[in-house]
Amino acid sequence: MGSRRRRPGPADSPFTVTSGPKPSPLTLVSGKGGVGKSAVATGLALYAHRQGRRVLAIDVTGAGGVAAHLGGGRLEFKPREVRPGLFALTIDRTKALAEYVKVQIGVPQFATMGPLARAFDALASTAPGVREVITLGKVLWEVQHGGYDLVVADCPPTGAITGLLRAPRTIAELVPSGRVRHQAEWMSQLLSRKKTELVLVTLAEELPTVETQETMALLAAENLVEPPTIVTNRVLPRLETEAKGSGVAAEAAILHRSLYRNQQDWIKRLPPARKLPYLFGLLTPGEVAARMADAWEHSEAGSKS
Amino acid sequence: MTTRAATRTKAIVVTGAGGVGKTTFAAGLAVQAASEGKRTLVLTVDPAKRLAGALGLELGGEPRQHPEQPLLWGAMLDAAASWQTLAHRHADPAVADRLVNNEFFQAATVHFPASQSYAAAEEAANYLDAKVWDLVVIDTPPAAGGIDFFTAPAQMSDLVGGRLLRLLTGGRIPGRNFFFNRGARPMLRFADQLLGSDLLERVAQFLMDLRTTYDGVASRSREIDSHLRKAATVVVTTADPAPLTEATRFFLELPEVAAPPVAVVFNRSLPDRWATTPPPAATNLALAENLARWASESQRQHDARVEFAARYKAPLVTVPWLADAPNDLDSLLDLLKQTDGLPALW
Repeated sequence: MGSRRRRPGPADSPFTVTSGPKPSPLTLVSGKGGVGKSAVATGLALYAHRQGRRVLAIDVTGAGGVAAHLGGGRLEFKPREVRPGLFALTIDRTKALAEYVKVQIGVPQFATMGPLARAFDALASTAPGVREVITLGKVLWEVQHGGYDLVVADCPPTGAITGLLRAPRTIAELVPSGRVRHQAEWMSQLLSRKKTELVLVTLAEELPTVETQETMALLAAENLVEPPTIVTNRVLPRLETEAKGSGVAAEAAILHRSLYRNQQDWIKRLPPARKLPYLFGLLTPGEVAARMADAWEHSEAGSKS
Repeated sequence: MTTRAATRTKAIVVTGAGGVGKTTFAAGLAVQAASEGKRTLVLTVDPAKRLAGALGLELGGEPRQHPEQPLLWGAMLDAAASWQTLAHRHADPAVADRLVNNEFFQAATVHFPASQSYAAAEEAANYLDAKVWDLVVIDTPPAAGGIDFFTAPAQMSDLVGGRLLRLLTGGRIPGRNFFFNRGARPMLRFADQLLGSDLLERVAQFLMDLRTTYDGVASRSREIDSHLRKAATVVVTTADPAPLTEATRFFLELPEVAAPPVAVVFNRSLPDRWATTPPPAATNLALAENLARWASESQRQHDARVEFAARYKAPLVTVPWLADAPNDLDSLLDLLKQTDGLPALW
């Protein structure tokens, strides 16, 4: 499909603010910790790739979730083609910072400057929004210049996602003018367009549901991105039989039916969502991702919230 | 076990990844201890409305006694409020006011990963120092991912001690004038270009104000550390990969800051017999198929538990998977009754 498209040349850099060919659609995946964000994000990338699209999967947190689910070893800061037409990268904050400084400040050897780099890193962790803008900058540069049919970003959990999405605005408010502000405005624009989708992964349980509701309320108040799409993971199938008799089969059926009933109650508390199935038994991360890709293919999309 | 220091209050820190049932298990431990005659305080973190529901206690900043169980108290740790307390406790009144109103102070309470944990740890230490309770059960903040609770005191004194200031200025902690007279330094010049000098100035003001709290925070950090070293750590997890990975960190990284965990609690455990007992002959197809998938899940859990216990030499505790979370004192006691393998903790 898009594989004949040009990869950017060496003169380009993540933080140059120019209009690229045609920005790619972007799906940002977040959710409460432990709901299976990385598996869902990787599954989506695999599914889109199966359809013949040229796809980039990004591990925004650097936690290794995308690499584990894709298989095939560690990821780097530069996109690597893990299968023909499927690319992946992980964001290394030090490298992202070095690229940022190289372009914005014109200090090419920044990464080798030791104490200076550490000092800047410390500054970035104190000033709100700086770290997030540097991370997000890398994602959005790939969206602008990578020529992909889809970019899927495995993002930090819901606790940090509003901070990440808000970062360009925070910086724009703190910095009155100049290149940084210009860049922040470009980022806000890319985030708020229709082709940027935020997926919130949740479970049909109390705490993830409540956290999803709170995140949706926060996002609705700030208008940073389009309303999120909800994906409910680990949904149990309906058991079409009575839990009769005694013994292990009846015990399993009783637990299943109670859990199913509770799940259905929690599902009602959120807008209609895409439902991905509970995966039983021993599976490797690679198998989980493949099953997730199947599930993306066969599940129905929920409505927009 | 080492002998206890001045305080006779025993601390149990219940930790682990978010969403594994940590808060409920902490409440269960507290109810059980109270029922055995221990004056017990359970501390939980801000958004844990569920604990309030299960205990039947309106939780507030101050400990409240349970109406039905007079030996049981509950209190909530409020991280944002604790930070303000910290500023007022350790800085001059004028500096404290300026700090609390500084945008970076407000950002730090949200962004600096150790801050919520430090605030929680400092408040927990206050309750341990009070010597009112035999036992304090601490439910660690979920945002911290557990392990930060133990490393927070050191990280906090590092932040307050001015790591950034030292790096900016090359070793010495400067006064305000020194800092800005040396504004021509390359680091400052280029940070100015990047962020605007006004921003940098405000960051510097924040750090210098924060720096005045250093002596207080550093000595308090050491006291908190010594409390944490004496606490019994209980790691709660499920047999799922993500929380298990989090649980391994308490064995790989914790020994430097605290004693190794006294138990690993596997919540949502399925009975082993589901994997080993064939269904009765008369079972209908749907029920047999349903058992087959739960049997594979039971087997997966079993393997994960055994591997974990073998690798980390951890005392293994199982809590059955209950469809409905405990919602009163009796059902919390019942949860502990169904818990298998729990060592003596008090």
